[in-house]
Amino acid sequence: MTAGSGGRTGHGELAPTTRRRRRRLTSRAVAPYLFILPNMVVFGLFTIWPALNSFNISLYDSGNGRRFNWVGTDNYREILSDPEFWGVARHTAVFVVGFVVLVTVAATALALLLNAQVRGRGLFRAAYFLPVLISPVVVGLIWNWALERQNGLVNTVLGAMGLGAPGWLLNPNLAMGVTIFVGLWTHLGFYAMILLAGLQGIDPSLYDAARIDGAGAWQRVRTITLPLLRPTTLVVVVLATIAGFQAFDFIYTLTGGGPVGATTLIVQYIYLKAFESPIRYGLASAAGVILFLTVFGVTLLNYAIGRRREAI
Amino acid sequence: MSTLANDVPADAAGARPTSARVGRPARRPGRWTSIGGRPPSTGIVVRTTVLTAGALAVLAPVVWALLSSFKSPDELARRPPTPFPAHPSFGNYAQALTSFDFGRYFLNSVLVTAGATALTLAINAMAAYALAKYNFRGRDALFVVTLATIMIPLQVIFLPVYQMVSSLGLVNSLWGMIIPPAATPTGVFLLRQYMLTLPDETIEAARIDGAGEFAIFWRIVLPLCRPALAVVAIFSVIWRWNDFLWPLIVAQDESVYTLPVALARFSSQLVIPFNLVLAMSVLSIAPVVLIFLALQRQIVSGIAQTGLK
Repeated sequence: MTAGSGGRTGHGELAPTTRRRRRRLTSRAVAPYLFILPNMVVFGLFTIWPALNSFNISLYDSGNGRRFNWVGTDNYREILSDPEFWGVARHTAVFVVGFVVLVTVAATALALLLNAQVRGRGLFRAAYFLPVLISPVVVGLIWNWALERQNGLVNTVLGAMGLGAPGWLLNPNLAMGVTIFVGLWTHLGFYAMILLAGLQGIDPSLYDAARIDGAGAWQRVRTITLPLLRPTTLVVVVLATIAGFQAFDFIYTLTGGGPVGATTLIVQYIYLKAFESPIRYGLASAAGVILFLTVFGVTLLNYAIGRRREAI
Repeated sequence: MSTLANDVPADAAGARPTSARVGRPARRPGRWTSIGGRPPSTGIVVRTTVLTAGALAVLAPVVWALLSSFKSPDELARRPPTPFPAHPSFGNYAQALTSFDFGRYFLNSVLVTAGATALTLAINAMAAYALAKYNFRGRDALFVVTLATIMIPLQVIFLPVYQMVSSLGLVNSLWGMIIPPAATPTGVFLLRQYMLTLPDETIEAARIDGAGEFAIFWRIVLPLCRPALAVVAIFSVIWRWNDFLWPLIVAQDESVYTLPVALARFSSQLVIPFNLVLAMSVLSIAPVVLIFLALQRQIVSGIAQTGLK
């Protein structure tokens, strides 16, 4: 290092230490930009620029999929007056609300049970986490097969108990219920792990104090565990909401969006507008922008409600 | 449901040595009326039963798929279905491996997963370090932008992403599947949260000792972040191994198919029998499950320490 700086002759007045310090300061000022650069290049090229470009495309009509004519906000107007879009929006809302509520409650219950369980905890944790590891494509395939009306696992078990054989994937309401359930099945273990980590961060001496004060078991859950767990619960609600709005892969192989579009959610709507004839890139991009704004708004709302509750 | 929740914290706290000292002497038979007047051991039995029943229900379809993958096509079509294969055989696997270029798809999946995970760890960790331990102009804006993109699914922007990948000549190349998803916002977030907890004094001391900025990152910060890196690595492996839509778009040539793409093609072409789809599904699940089982302890402790709380 000193040999390197000594090589530049003619500025010998600076003492080596001063020079080194100055050089260190420069490198310290430049270092963060160099550290963040590779990530930001990949990020910019494959996320930020396409996202902005997506907004740009949404202002054009793609016609036959090649020609782009500026149409301003026409795509947005068309979507917002399209009954198909509102049907999809309603299904998406039902799915997201059902999924988020069920997965949060179930994951909290599971985390509480796992936290209390001493024997075989690792085994249970692994069992409940297994579906997280499976490709959504395979999840959809397996459940589609398990829910088959005639010969599926579910109806075989129900038949053995004399409970009939519902057409899970043929009835629109049942299909939506099944889709929410499979989403729950896929994600439960992941959110339970996050909540379990939160539970283990709660100071056990609080429970002792509460017990000495005569608090019952349910009271301790309600007054200590749940309030202290709230920041973690907020993270889970936010992540689950985003995941709910993005659900696509497993539904594609589970129901294909059917029956009669009952489980076609917003991402599939976008996918169909972009890929199926007549190809409408502009319209699909506009729907994408609407989706982004919705998710963004709901996330901010989640945080606002979560924070306010925390303050009370 | 409520009885389950009721006895949880008692046992949760009771399992810890400190509270056992405080809690046990105070226990009187009458205190357990909240769970129906049963002694605590009943609570444990109930809890274990519920956890076991739930776990079996969660595992059932996967186990059934696994068992069925050893059945002959005739047996698969039988009604009612048999719980266990009558004549278990690897016939479906052998047929799947020989009928299709399975080895190539598997290798492609391994290469994409390994390459993308290595790249993700490298660039996410560097970015996280800059965000966690430096003050520089634009830092907070970059962090907010990074977080905001968690809300942009690929499904929404795949068209412009595809245009970009195409203009860089990465279509039909494994690099096209490795590079675009590598800058994960989740990875940056998790690593940054973890790095915030590292003491500044350690880094400052190294600077005074004359260590360069990259040397500090490489020799001091990264080793301290091992638990967080393990979490990001396992999540990256799960994501990339199971990715579907993006590889489907990039891999238009069969020679660069990954497993999920091949699988989706098999199942969508109804000419391919379901027994082969089953065998390939099981084979595609196996590696990730094995990695998870091997690293489970690190993953769990990593999640606990990563600030996801």
